[in-house]
Amino acid sequence: MKEDQALTAMAQALRQADAPVAGQLANDYQVVLGQMLNVSRLATIGEMAAGIAHELNQPLTAIANYSQACDRLLDQDPIDTGDLHMALGEITREAVRASQIMRRLRNLSRINEMSRAPTDVNAMIHEVVALAGVDARAHDIRLAMSLDGNLPLVELDYIQIQHVLLNLIRNATDALLQVRTGVREIQVRSGLSAGGALELAVCDTGPGLTAEVQRQLFDPFFSTKPGGTGLGLPISHSIVRAHGGTLGYRHNTPQGACFFLHIPLQPVSPQNAT
Amino acid sequence: MNPAANQIIFIVDDDESVRESLRFLLRSVGLATRALGSAGEFLSGYDPAQPGCLVLDVRMPGMSGLELQQELNRRGAVIPVIFITGHGDVPMAVEALQQGAFDFLQKPFRDQDLIDRIRKALARDAGVRASLRSHEQIRARLGSLTPREHEVLDCMIRGKPNKIIAAELGVSQRTVEVHRARVMEKTGADSLAHLVRMYLVADPDHNL
Repeated sequence: MKEDQALTAMAQALRQADAPVAGQLANDYQVVLGQMLNVSRLATIGEMAAGIAHELNQPLTAIANYSQACDRLLDQDPIDTGDLHMALGEITREAVRASQIMRRLRNLSRINEMSRAPTDVNAMIHEVVALAGVDARAHDIRLAMSLDGNLPLVELDYIQIQHVLLNLIRNATDALLQVRTGVREIQVRSGLSAGGALELAVCDTGPGLTAEVQRQLFDPFFSTKPGGTGLGLPISHSIVRAHGGTLGYRHNTPQGACFFLHIPLQPVSPQNAT
Repeated sequence: MNPAANQIIFIVDDDESVRESLRFLLRSVGLATRALGSAGEFLSGYDPAQPGCLVLDVRMPGMSGLELQQELNRRGAVIPVIFITGHGDVPMAVEALQQGAFDFLQKPFRDQDLIDRIRKALARDAGVRASLRSHEQIRARLGSLTPREHEVLDCMIRGKPNKIIAAELGVSQRTVEVHRARVMEKTGADSLAHLVRMYLVADPDHNL
């Protein structure tokens, strides 16, 4: 893939700390990362497709069951209209549930320019958790939320920040799959940081990160997963920085990993990547 | 064939919509159902003596459908299990069937397919329970024989005439005749052939 090669070359040059070249490359790097973001978001959708298919199948199954039951009820004499009304009401409800799942998927796949708007952060998290919850449940992982109810609206790109959170939850899920016993939980938190910025965190009860891994966390193409692209966290990092914020790591208490992002409550012009 | 009045179809699925819609569908054809949201909920109220069948979702948080099936196998349960799944997951279906699942259906299904399979499962459950009951009865009857009557029984089913039995056991032919009559009476067998069948049911590994 062309982007892959370009990124490898840039990453190499940056590591060799050739300052003038690095400065030039850093700008290109941002451009390519932007393209990679779309690719990566689609890859995340691909990973979730199986889960979404399962989730969609549930209301469809319920609809099929109710409509077939209605067909049978219509053959009875006398016809119980109460039961028919009830079943038809359920069919409507399930159709709405199916279309909500579709809407979430459509929002996620919409590829757009960075567009910031005042956002209800907690509502966004609810949507992320609904999307990721399918996958978590399939792996017997509890996905919980701890939200600050008094947050103001924050200027951010809904789709991009959602992508960051999904990516972090995806990583946490992979980490928890290594845990055979004990609690398997991911918690998504919202609140204000000590510095008064919006803080969003994704914390898990997995094994946590070694110091060695922490050092290379945001290096492009560094991955601890077999088949990992090593681009998830660099792209997330880049998105958060474009919001004038930071993406960081700390240990979770009592155990596990905790990734947090800080985003200023007042919009800041996007920082350069260098 | 209509199900017996005391048969219950247990529906275990963590998705409330699927669960309730199934219950509604089965009720519309006059089947008695009980719907539960998890394997644990099912097990906590599980009565091995309750006839019926189990319609079980494969994939559930906590104890999965396959794990519940294994637990029921460990407990020696006879209730037939019909798995329902949203995935055309062949290895999973193979595993379930190897573990003795009655059938496997992919969601969504044609209602008639499900109902047909449920009726077959209920018939199987009734058959298995009837034969278990008759086995227990036979074991109880054979268990009521005295040691001497047992010895006579062993000889009888090998087709030995009274004269030989008398000689082997060192008793009179008249005594053998009395024991023989008691064996037939206590077991309720109509004939020697019937007695042999009972004997084989009670002790299938026995080499005649």
